[in-house]
Amino acid sequence: MNVTITVNGEVRSASVPPETTLLVLLREHFLLTGAKTGCDVGDCGACTVIVDGKAVNACLMLAGQADGRTVTTIEGLATREGLHPLQKVFEETGALQCGFCGPGVIMSSKALLDEIPNPTTAEIRNALAGNLCRCTGYQKMIEGVHEAAEMLQSTTTPATLATKTPATPALAALPQR
Amino acid sequence: MKRRGRGIASMWYPVGFTVAANPSGAVVKVNEDGTAVVLTGTVETGQGALGVLSQIAAEALGIAPNDIHIVSGDTDTCPMDTGAIASRTTYITGNAIAAAAAEARDTLFEVASQMLGVKTSQLEAKDHKIQVKGFPARSAPIADVALRAHLVNGTPPIGSASWNPPTVPLDPETGQGKPFGTYVYATQIAEIDVDDETGEVEVLRVTASHDCGTAINPMLVEGQIEGGVFMGLGFALQEEILFDKQGRQLNPNLTNYIMPTTLDMPVVESDIVDSYDETGPFGAKAVGEPSLVPTAAAITNAIYDAVGVRITALPATAERVLAAIKAKRAMEQKQIPA
Repeated sequence: MNVTITVNGEVRSASVPPETTLLVLLREHFLLTGAKTGCDVGDCGACTVIVDGKAVNACLMLAGQADGRTVTTIEGLATREGLHPLQKVFEETGALQCGFCGPGVIMSSKALLDEIPNPTTAEIRNALAGNLCRCTGYQKMIEGVHEAAEMLQSTTTPATLATKTPATPALAALPQR
Repeated sequence: MKRRGRGIASMWYPVGFTVAANPSGAVVKVNEDGTAVVLTGTVETGQGALGVLSQIAAEALGIAPNDIHIVSGDTDTCPMDTGAIASRTTYITGNAIAAAAAEARDTLFEVASQMLGVKTSQLEAKDHKIQVKGFPARSAPIADVALRAHLVNGTPPIGSASWNPPTVPLDPETGQGKPFGTYVYATQIAEIDVDDETGEVEVLRVTASHDCGTAINPMLVEGQIEGGVFMGLGFALQEEILFDKQGRQLNPNLTNYIMPTTLDMPVVESDIVDSYDETGPFGAKAVGEPSLVPTAAAITNAIYDAVGVRITALPATAERVLAAIKAKRAMEQKQIPA
């Protein structure tokens, strides 16, 4: 079947078998390998991407379900001006160690900040509950999301505006975590 | 109802085993522009080892960590390293790199002593300069000294060294000797709530105080402590591999092998003890594995403080804690005289 999605601002199409997941579409057909294949059954969150403003496990969504939708992956965050504040803070504060969970954690965090620009610690913990990390103990990630939220609010530069996904109404049909 | 409890646990942990050879080798080469290349056999696994090793090399050479290029983990090009195991990298590989950097620095001192007209013993490497101790104005940029070493003196500043913790063999009769290079110490306190109707344990806060020698990179030390507490928490309350009678694992997925998430993780307050170890690079020891050693003991002590039961098999799941609470109640009822 033919699938067309807008991924990181670019309209891309592929002809794939119907059982292809969004994760396989992204990684193997579009060569966007930032979303990681961890458990591949929706437990670990390493494959998290943003579909129409919602964080989803790309391994649990069929490519066909994503047809016509807007997908943002970790590759879509940095601009020519530099890293997204979340990436910058995570890098500078040691919020990631081995880094395998990183793309998923950052995309879950971005989906949260797009919806709630100034989240409470409880809201951050809730938003990241589906992203497993074996190294860090999460603390520096949680602090990092707070810090990135402050940066995003204080400096709404064109660079950060460009990476903001427009908020869309929640789609009940989406597999949500 | 929920009952609050606090528990404390302390530990020591040995670093740098000496029962078998445990060496690390390193090569440090100062380039013509005053930057340096370090060759090490150790590998980075995300803990930040290469950052710490860059800091050690930079401190020894008087340059910045960003001036260091590390080549690591390639046994074709790098000297032997026993491995990123046993919390030994900062301590042993760090010592090897510090010694190799000091050897390269000695070559720079010989060149600079001619340039500055002083003895090599009067020189120090600091702020990208080779300078006279106590007279920092009398100095030469390291880039100039290094270039001169390469092109004029014909003595490229290269150092190589290896470090193996000093050994004292164990006495076969008494078992005494010096089995490890050094020791680290830590105390952790856990504050928890136990629901005495369900047995569920919620860890609210862990305070972790660690003596790791000099904390070469305090941010990374905190990262290791937070990660260690998190692993200790999973060990204490959640993580257990279950097997059936044929030895097949019953819970091979992350839905049934339960590890802590952001919702389970308490606030961790890290406290780095002010400490200096004579045998470590710039006084550093270790922090990796030790950070998770006392956590489970602190949590089970807190369970005792909260509901008065001793949990002796981990993980202290809600089922186990509730069974222990019920057994205690039954025992107490039996003891009431009729």
